[in-house]
Amino acid sequence: MRHLWNCFCRELGLIKESPRYLILLTAGILFSYVFFLTFMHEGQPENLPIAVVDQDGSYLSRRLCHEIDATQGVDVVAVYNSHSEAREAMQRQEIFAFLEIPAGTYSEVLDFKTPHLALYSNNAYLLAGTLSYKTLSTIGKLTSAAVQREVMRKKGYSEDQIMGMIQPIEIDAHLISNPWGSYLPYVLTTMLPGIIGVMALLLTVYLVTNEYKLKTEIIWLSTAGGDMLKALIGKLLPYTCWFTLLGIVGNIVMFGFSHFVCLGSFFALSVAMLLFVMAMQSMGVLLAGLIPDQHLAVSIAAIYGMLSFSMSGFSYPVVSMPPALQAFSYIFPLRHYYLTYADVAMFGANFTQYWSHLCWLLCFLIAGCIGGLLLNQLAKGDSNKATVEC
Amino acid sequence: MKSFWHNITAGLKDIYDVFTLELYRIFTDGGVMLIFFVGSLIYPLIFGAIYKHECIRNLPVAVVDDSQSASSQRFIHKLDATPEVNVDFQCNTLAEAESLMRQRKVNGIVYFPNDYSDRLAKGETARLCLFCDMSSFLYYRSVFTGASSVMLDEMKHIELERYTMAGVTGQDAETAITPVPYEDVKLFSPAGGFTSFLVPALLALVIHQTLFLGIGILSGTAREEGQTVAIVPERLRNRSVYRVVMGRSLAYMMIYIPLVAIDLVLLPRVFGLPHIGRLGDLCLFFLPFLLATISFSMTVGSFVRQRDTGILVCIFFSVVLLFLSGVVWPRSNMPLFWKYFSYLFPSTHGIQGFVRINSMGAHLKQVQFEYQMLWVQAGIYFLTTCLLYKVKFFKYEDGAVCI
Repeated sequence: MRHLWNCFCRELGLIKESPRYLILLTAGILFSYVFFLTFMHEGQPENLPIAVVDQDGSYLSRRLCHEIDATQGVDVVAVYNSHSEAREAMQRQEIFAFLEIPAGTYSEVLDFKTPHLALYSNNAYLLAGTLSYKTLSTIGKLTSAAVQREVMRKKGYSEDQIMGMIQPIEIDAHLISNPWGSYLPYVLTTMLPGIIGVMALLLTVYLVTNEYKLKTEIIWLSTAGGDMLKALIGKLLPYTCWFTLLGIVGNIVMFGFSHFVCLGSFFALSVAMLLFVMAMQSMGVLLAGLIPDQHLAVSIAAIYGMLSFSMSGFSYPVVSMPPALQAFSYIFPLRHYYLTYADVAMFGANFTQYWSHLCWLLCFLIAGCIGGLLLNQLAKGDSNKATVEC
Repeated sequence: MKSFWHNITAGLKDIYDVFTLELYRIFTDGGVMLIFFVGSLIYPLIFGAIYKHECIRNLPVAVVDDSQSASSQRFIHKLDATPEVNVDFQCNTLAEAESLMRQRKVNGIVYFPNDYSDRLAKGETARLCLFCDMSSFLYYRSVFTGASSVMLDEMKHIELERYTMAGVTGQDAETAITPVPYEDVKLFSPAGGFTSFLVPALLALVIHQTLFLGIGILSGTAREEGQTVAIVPERLRNRSVYRVVMGRSLAYMMIYIPLVAIDLVLLPRVFGLPHIGRLGDLCLFFLPFLLATISFSMTVGSFVRQRDTGILVCIFFSVVLLFLSGVVWPRSNMPLFWKYFSYLFPSTHGIQGFVRINSMGAHLKQVQFEYQMLWVQAGIYFLTTCLLYKVKFFKYEDGAVCI
């Protein structure tokens, strides 16, 4: 225990000596939190710019424009005369969708013919395109419904009957744990811890390889009484505490101040955060053990770390990836953190349901031990060399 | 006149020397080679594999049918037939379905209340409940799209029945149901998939980030080895910084032109991503994109004092840059501060322009703003790089640092 403490104190001393990296990383993490929380504060984009191509110029088409403009989702920023104008505006990204009302629409409606509206949405920008499409298609349906209602009123149907005719089925959608359909909890709850994890990983690789680069590994080991495991724990413990603390504070901000839904226990989430940080550090130790060259190790850790965002499956589900990659996703701790988060916060699951994810996170500690063995051998090799040289 | 020519040839010679030295440094640094060549080629391949399937198909959902009627069963059959979802479980109670959802065996629940068919029979509005797993937006999107497409189809069916009961049949009934039909055209990515939307943006980001990272590492290494900002031939020290900056830029340009050709021209074709842009426009656009990225990276790089700082800075910025580009979150809805903040980075305009030319078939005229901004950035960052180099060369002029 004393060795562990010595090692811990030595690391604190090192941090005090050159706190640059820790400050840089902490600043980066804080910046990410501030950035994402303010960047998407709307939750779901509103008043997306769209246009109307009004070739009809009638009472109906003008009224449609006003109706569309009055909806929350979109904003009519321009009325064009031709399709090509609107398409070019879309390519300039001034609008995300447009509704084309062909000439003679109103008179055809009056004649009880069926004029066709056309609705164009830009799918190259998925979120904006889908949302503006959704609003416009609602308007499209409402247009038909409005005409239908007028006709039926004239025929003498009661309002109830009319509603039954126009809308025989209604979907009552319940979005579990994100009733607003907000983008914030969906992106932030996994991505921000992910950024903390990647920072922890890179710092671990850097610090461990640095001992070897500066040839201080023998001093380091001797502080820990020659036990690599104690040396590693002592060295990495200050960072484990710091990053876990940042993660928990981040979760307090998200679930407390920003009111993201957390149905389950916050404590479980915090434990998951601790295990996640430890898992990322273990992977760092493994990488440092496998690749003694500092530059190469950090570069490879960067590549691995960046992949965790895609492989965690929070944006694009793992089940839709090719099977080989599905298996590959297990070696990313962020994947298991995300699964724990979804179970605990979104579904309010209890321990019997999410224990397996935590176990997976614990398994990464084995990787850390293997890394420790490799590092031990490296240190032994170096000390042998040193004796020979002596 | 003679001295003018002499200056030009001397300048070219200097640039050439810096250029070859920089190439030598790149090719002898394992980390940089890894980032430049492996990173910029492996990432796109991995992304291509991860996001191989555009949409989620056959998402498992559970159904609770309290109505037990012909109409609700018809709805369920149709739902099962949609490409988006699969009805994997028919539960007796909502609690049962809920526990399946908790076990993550299903991603959605469709619940028919017991008055579903009664209301339909009475000609009223029947209601059904949909519970969506929100742990990923794509789950929600699939379940919701599947259910609403069936709902629209069923509505038409029921409306037709009701009109028929009211004595309106045939074409008249069709017209009565949808007096103003609309057609929807999903432009630029007909499947509405995730892949065609995200991967082009990621490809452009990979070019930006690997270049940024590589240059950051090179600058950091130079500083670690006791140099000022870059390693330059001895006779060039403290002389023309323009030649140094131009020589270095040229080296990166030469390496990145083929990489850009592979990542941004070839790979969209190989992966079957949208690629309706004209090659000429793309090439014209890549030029300022690369120049701006290189100058930007050199400017930032001159602040990097240690090799690995570059990596750390780069990592957390990758995600931020993706969001700042306005591909994920629409530019029209960005807070003003972040919008102007995003103008600092070549990736913002680079990703925007590339996506619009490549995926949306825009001409240079339509990406004029981005195109001009990239040239402006290239110019400004070139000058700032020169300035910074000059300041730093000057600082070390006393010859304390030598090669």
